[in-house]
Amino acid sequence: MIRLLLAFICFICSVIIGQQRIWDSHSAHTLPAKRWSVGVFQPVRYGISDNLETSFHPGWFFIIPNVSFKVPHSDLGSFKAARKISLVYPTPLLNMLSREGIGGLIDPNLTTPPMLGVSGSFLFSKEALGFNVTTKVGLDVGLVMGELDTRSNIDLPLVYHRLEVFHNKWGLHAGLDLVKEVSKDLELFLDLDLRLLPDFDKGNKSKEYSMRSGDYSIEHKLLVAWNHGDRFRILMGYKLVAGEYPYGKQMRLLPYIPMLEKWVPLIEMQWAR
Amino acid sequence: MSTRPSFIFLILFICSGCDSFVVEFPDSSEPLKFTASSVDKDSKTYQEGDLKILTWNMRFGIGRLPFFGDSCGDKVIADETTVASTMQAIAETLNVIDADIVLLQEVDLESKRTGYWNQIQYLLDNTYLNYGVYASTWQSDFIPTDGIGRVNTGNAILSKFEIGPAERIQLRLRTDQSDLVQYFYLRRNILKAEIPELASGQKKFFAINIHATAFATDDTKQQHVDKYVEVLGKIDSDGDVFISGGDLNAVPPGAVIDYCMNDICDREDFHVDGAEPFHKEGSYFQNFQDEPDILVPLYDRYQPAIEIEAINQPENYTHAPVTSMLNDSTIRKYDRKIDYLFTNMEWEGSSGFTHQACWEISDHMPISASVRPTAGD
Repeated sequence: MIRLLLAFICFICSVIIGQQRIWDSHSAHTLPAKRWSVGVFQPVRYGISDNLETSFHPGWFFIIPNVSFKVPHSDLGSFKAARKISLVYPTPLLNMLSREGIGGLIDPNLTTPPMLGVSGSFLFSKEALGFNVTTKVGLDVGLVMGELDTRSNIDLPLVYHRLEVFHNKWGLHAGLDLVKEVSKDLELFLDLDLRLLPDFDKGNKSKEYSMRSGDYSIEHKLLVAWNHGDRFRILMGYKLVAGEYPYGKQMRLLPYIPMLEKWVPLIEMQWAR
Repeated sequence: MSTRPSFIFLILFICSGCDSFVVEFPDSSEPLKFTASSVDKDSKTYQEGDLKILTWNMRFGIGRLPFFGDSCGDKVIADETTVASTMQAIAETLNVIDADIVLLQEVDLESKRTGYWNQIQYLLDNTYLNYGVYASTWQSDFIPTDGIGRVNTGNAILSKFEIGPAERIQLRLRTDQSDLVQYFYLRRNILKAEIPELASGQKKFFAINIHATAFATDDTKQQHVDKYVEVLGKIDSDGDVFISGGDLNAVPPGAVIDYCMNDICDREDFHVDGAEPFHKEGSYFQNFQDEPDILVPLYDRYQPAIEIEAINQPENYTHAPVTSMLNDSTIRKYDRKIDYLFTNMEWEGSSGFTHQACWEISDHMPISASVRPTAGD
């Protein structure tokens, strides 16, 4: 757990082999055929053809199998458009975290049944007022093959609303990404994402015992990137998560080191070629 | 927006997300206050006569569920049926006993293990009690062990009468733990509340609630009792009156001090060569020289609700772990006394009573007694 927290909180180091902004994973642009990128925490991305890009997180693949496909869509006015579908199978990871002792994030008496998460998104990108703008909107579906106990969740920011899609069966997401070139060496990245779990609270039998509660989460990230030539850059910034949980509303600035009770800057390094 | 206001806004925005992950408390802080959704205007006024006081470690409303932190249990997140039926039973019991002031330990406030239930508000809304104060013993956004997740549990004082100034007094942390364990561990306290309605002339009336350490193997328990004696002594020397009690996790003078074999779990060994630890944590009451007599100063100075002659009689036992068994099929309901009520006034006659019929609602039995705050004036 400590390793996971440290990995998550302290330092995100990714290695990317690629080039230009067209390779930004959140935009509507797809990788050209046979081009690829790889990262420690970033997904492996590969252009199967000019019209089909696939990606997956290699570090997590064997405990949380996942894969995404992105295909270009006909332009929508001045926007470049794409469709993205993601599949994730979190059951092995959740059952690993359901254990006694340190690192047990889920009640060890609970077993997570086979579950498949399916997310579909539309992405729209364009240049406007000196910004690279990407908007997205999509639907999340949580397919559960068996009995999923309401107590089987992790009440942490970033994680809670993603897992509760399986309890609610579905959810919605939307987002906005902005990239601004401040100077030759400096860029500014800003994103805002919204996750919704419609009618989520209706799953509670009583108002006092409320395992299923909190139907939205807003995530915001701001990063400043310093480019050192074309092949290396450092990004620094923060991530802010605000949302409603079973215990009420909460806002948390990340990365956050619990024992020091301090926020530390998010640092990411990228190499490209 | 000019640069400076934008910068200030950004800093405020960022800092608003900087709440502590684990709440560490100063030596003295203000507890949370609660009010029933409907206050009974008749009962909030003291009408003279006896006041009934009750103390109860309510085990966060999970009844006899074998919780993993207690002895041999393995359950972590209680199911809705268990919590709902237990909370209802606690509320009904408080209404039947009809206490005027209730000292509760192990009350959950939006903890995952009890379905994020606000147990204080529930009890206020479902009993004759109108006001409450709460001091957390364990408050963390997330406990990354055994699936506990978010937790907030602590001591509460519930009262029919309005509660005045109140204070959460921090007790010393255990010293027999690593820094990491201590960071995520309990921070025990004394909860002190003044009840102005019960003041008599210049004498203020205080309710004091404590939950002392259970599992420490160092001198933490001595430190907790010493602080408790100090807090009560200050009230007494100021000429004020108090009712006080709680779960002291200490046996009375003259009691059996070793319950290891009563509390032993499968695959455990105690009292044999090479056993480490030699005694079971929380089941042995002589971790330091004078621990068996740790409560003597309280009995010497104040009035116990259960007379000292009767404190070691089985009808006054208040606790046994939920997994403790007399034999393969018979539960040991209680085998020791670790919960107490004291006052620097006089309890009414033989009003002190241990409600052992409540053994299924918690692993502790409530104690009640009556006192008349104006007596002797």
